[in-house]
Amino acid sequence: MNLIIYSISLSIIAGIMCLFIPKRTRGVAETLGVIVSLVTFIMTIMMFGREFVSKWFLIDNLSRFVVMGIGMFGFLIVLYSLKYMQGRDRINEYYAYLLITIGASIGAVLSNHLILLLVFWGVLGLTLYMLVGIGGSDASSTAKKTFIIIGGSDVIMILGVAVTWVLGKTFIMSGIEVSVNSGMSMLAFICLAVAAFAKAGAMPLHSWIPDCAEKAPVSVTAFLPASLDKLVGIYFLGRISMKMFVLNKAMGQMLLIIGAITIVAAVMMALIQHDFKRLLGYHAVSQVGYMVLGIGTCSPIGIAGGLFHMLNNTIYKCCLFLGSGAVEKRTKTSDLDKLGGLARFMPVTFVTFVIAALSISGVPPFNGFVSKWMIYQGIVDLGRKGDKLWLVWMVAAMFGSALTLASFMKLIHAVFLGQREGGEKVKEVSSLMWIPMVVLAGLCMIFGVLAFTVPLEKFILPAVPGVSFTGLFSPSLVTLMIILGVILGLIIYMLSNFKNIREDSLPYIGGEELPVETRVTGVDFYRSIKDSKILGGIYRAADKKSFDIYDVAKRVLNYFIGMLKYLHSGLLSNYVIWVVAGILVLLIVLMKGSI
Amino acid sequence: MNMIPLFVAVPLAGAFIIPMLSRKFKWFPDVLGNLVTLALVIMSFAVIGKSGVYSMGAWKAPIGIVMVLDGLSVLLLVSINVIAFASTLYSIKYMEQYTSKLRYYSLFLLMLAGMNGVVLSGDMFNLFVFLEIASVASYALVGFGCEHEELEASFKYLVLGTVASTFILLGIGMTYGSIGSLNMAQISEQISQNGMNNALLFAIALFIMGFGLKAALVPFHAWLPDAHPSAPAPISSMLSGVLIKALGIYTLVRFLFNVVGVDERLLMILMVLGALSMVIGVMLAFGQWDFKRLLAYHSISQVGYIILGIGLGTPLGILGGLFHLINHSAFKSLLFLNAGAVEYSTGTRDLQELGGIREKMPVTANTSLVASMSIAGIPPFNGFWSKLIIIIACVQAGRPVFAALAVFASILTLASFLKVQKYVFFEKLKEKWNDLREVPALMSLPMVLLALLCIVMGVLLLPIGNTGVLENINILEPAVKVIMDGTDYASKILGM
Repeated sequence: MNLIIYSISLSIIAGIMCLFIPKRTRGVAETLGVIVSLVTFIMTIMMFGREFVSKWFLIDNLSRFVVMGIGMFGFLIVLYSLKYMQGRDRINEYYAYLLITIGASIGAVLSNHLILLLVFWGVLGLTLYMLVGIGGSDASSTAKKTFIIIGGSDVIMILGVAVTWVLGKTFIMSGIEVSVNSGMSMLAFICLAVAAFAKAGAMPLHSWIPDCAEKAPVSVTAFLPASLDKLVGIYFLGRISMKMFVLNKAMGQMLLIIGAITIVAAVMMALIQHDFKRLLGYHAVSQVGYMVLGIGTCSPIGIAGGLFHMLNNTIYKCCLFLGSGAVEKRTKTSDLDKLGGLARFMPVTFVTFVIAALSISGVPPFNGFVSKWMIYQGIVDLGRKGDKLWLVWMVAAMFGSALTLASFMKLIHAVFLGQREGGEKVKEVSSLMWIPMVVLAGLCMIFGVLAFTVPLEKFILPAVPGVSFTGLFSPSLVTLMIILGVILGLIIYMLSNFKNIREDSLPYIGGEELPVETRVTGVDFYRSIKDSKILGGIYRAADKKSFDIYDVAKRVLNYFIGMLKYLHSGLLSNYVIWVVAGILVLLIVLMKGSI
Repeated sequence: MNMIPLFVAVPLAGAFIIPMLSRKFKWFPDVLGNLVTLALVIMSFAVIGKSGVYSMGAWKAPIGIVMVLDGLSVLLLVSINVIAFASTLYSIKYMEQYTSKLRYYSLFLLMLAGMNGVVLSGDMFNLFVFLEIASVASYALVGFGCEHEELEASFKYLVLGTVASTFILLGIGMTYGSIGSLNMAQISEQISQNGMNNALLFAIALFIMGFGLKAALVPFHAWLPDAHPSAPAPISSMLSGVLIKALGIYTLVRFLFNVVGVDERLLMILMVLGALSMVIGVMLAFGQWDFKRLLAYHSISQVGYIILGIGLGTPLGILGGLFHLINHSAFKSLLFLNAGAVEYSTGTRDLQELGGIREKMPVTANTSLVASMSIAGIPPFNGFWSKLIIIIACVQAGRPVFAALAVFASILTLASFLKVQKYVFFEKLKEKWNDLREVPALMSLPMVLLALLCIVMGVLLLPIGNTGVLENINILEPAVKVIMDGTDYASKILGM
């Protein structure tokens, strides 16, 4: 109990202290940030392996690995920020909100009381708003949009909590078990799920993530939308759909539909992006689809896969964003058109980025593959139980995976291979920035190769009882084979006359000759998709924000507001007429039946 | 309980002393005005948890005038006087822009005396007199700037306000005609003995309209968006923060719950009026670009929350409504003071003309952030707790539709305050604001005080726990009890 309170309050109090550090004082907030986040990380590790239930807090199999993840990301991001944020304004505020976020996330995950959860959950939205705002004056619209979506879903969550309380008769989460069969219970579940969707970024509440990725400081994107919000959001989705509610078929189907649409639509948007960070933002949305899909299968292996994918996703997505931050720090741009050829200047960033990219695309032996594999099995399970649409979910998931790989091809080509405009040399980023990336890339490998012995055994399987693997996959064996294959390839490469091949650095475009001055930037990859007839129309509509719930709602609302404004003409006589009409209605209502 | 009449007497005396003495001493209105409000704050804190009846000149109830202090009055007294103190403190510097501080303070204290009188009156006619004192003073204060726009707003307010007052007076006449007494406790007793009749029902309709207009419930709200922005900032903060509550909500609740006793139909009327105001108010606020006008529309919407909560008629709903009432007075007054500070420094209230002044005016920016988050219902600020209770209470009372409307209005509130934050404080600093200064310390101080209240009230009055929420709140609980006891009010007052 004490440990929980310490771990939450330490970082929140330290964060509030940071707010009061005078602007001129440098270094204090940074030092405080590193120490506090490290101590918090250690405390979250200490929590591992404990069980605890009280009225307010709960540590169980589901929450403890999530908490550990929060502690780890908190520390890594603070480390990364030391160099990345150097020289920006409002540094003290930045660390303050970062620390409060760590504390509030731990609180949200460990709460056992729905009201307490609401408080932490809401604070997370507020700190996200402030953190995005630190991105400077350009980011103010994004911050507003983000907080309207997040804060709005928080209010919907209040409604969900209220209905859950009435149905379950208690606020204590571990004591609630509601089976979804009536209209009210569906309302409760959907309201709570909306909050989880908005936080994690599932469609249709996703539209803040790409904007955020583009405008907010990279460390903020890597920290919140990419890792913490995923952990907290999907954790909560897992908690409500596994423990608090017994889902009926309709709810499961709803999750599956949302998951499938999110995967495909977001990855299609990612394909055509021009901005490094925005592209990654769409992938952050797309991956949520897998987690929702996994949980929506309602079979143990699918849920386990969804949770494992959540963990994996936070690792590689955080790594990818940090990589993009490193590139931006050195080149001062995130426009794919202006980047290229960075592999030889920034080898560490390149290697970690490629590892993370392979993970997100689900290439074995990296971690993304294992979790996707489990989700596929969950879908197969669904088919066995008689869901006729299981093939649709399967195709969506696999198609999404293929398109992810395709879009990362584009990205890696555009940023690290190819040639850069101007082409002056850049340096690798400082070690404080690459250490977190290396740690995360290392985790991608460990979680992939040793999937069963480390993450699944320790974290995931205890949280989801009754998982049975149907398909056989031995990551160690596969790794061995892949390594053998790579070595074999290297030997062939060495033996052959490679000097002739590496004579120049001209890009290889399917064997075609290109004039030297023509750059192939990767921006034009997949342009034909955007120009095609049917998809082109959809893309144009997306450009006009027709699928963005925020903009659609704004338009509808403005229509009604226009009507109301028309009524408020400012003429006194009209207003007196309303008053008289009002009193007439009151009289009719009150006197009805008595005369 | 000899303190009760002082709540009216002290500000009333102040209002007359100020013009007499301040010809000689220029500093006098400021000092006396603040001393009076400070004294009232201390007095109102002293009466927390107390109750009593005071008969003027020792004449007993039906003949004499009685003043009644109970839980509900205490709640209102505390919020009225705290906000009044913050406003007078703020006025010291702010009102230097205007001429004639002595008239200002005189009218201010008159209005204050009227409000304190309304919440303490034990009979309908005195209530009406105090209500008129406060209203007339507020008509004058709205037009205090004497510019075209202010006078027009004041005139509209005057006309609609008078319509309401006339109807209230008519209602009082009809009540007197059919009951034969104006003492609230006696009216209540008579009604419970003899039942309703048509004249009384007609009077009830008149009262709902009249008090509803003072509370700015839709469709009786049209005066407010003109009147509240036109007044000087400290007056706007008084009007939106407490006047509409003392003159509108308090009177409505006192009359319906304690005097006639509510039934299903009256509760339904309250809920529908509340929900209408909540939704229409916020939608109208959404399209505004004038800082203070936007805030004024939000007052309509927030009053809707309060009325909806109380209209549920359940202990939790009433608790939420009253909690929202005091929270709203804190954050809405603060927001108006913020708007005043922005106008004081920049000379404009147009959101589109402002921008990026966060770095230049950090105190205003941060306090307004606190207030915006409070009104939007973001934890851990106070507005979150009361909205939470109201929404939960709606669901508990089996009215999920009203809960959903409250949620909808809350999302729009958030959106519209994020718009304010974005256009006024964040964004890029416009060049013309490059040598902007923060407002003087005497103006920052009340803003900081109210911002602290917004933070502390959420935590201090923290009503979480079991559903036995009522235990640990020593100012809300008695007020809730008064409303829940309904027409038992009569026997208590007559027994004292």
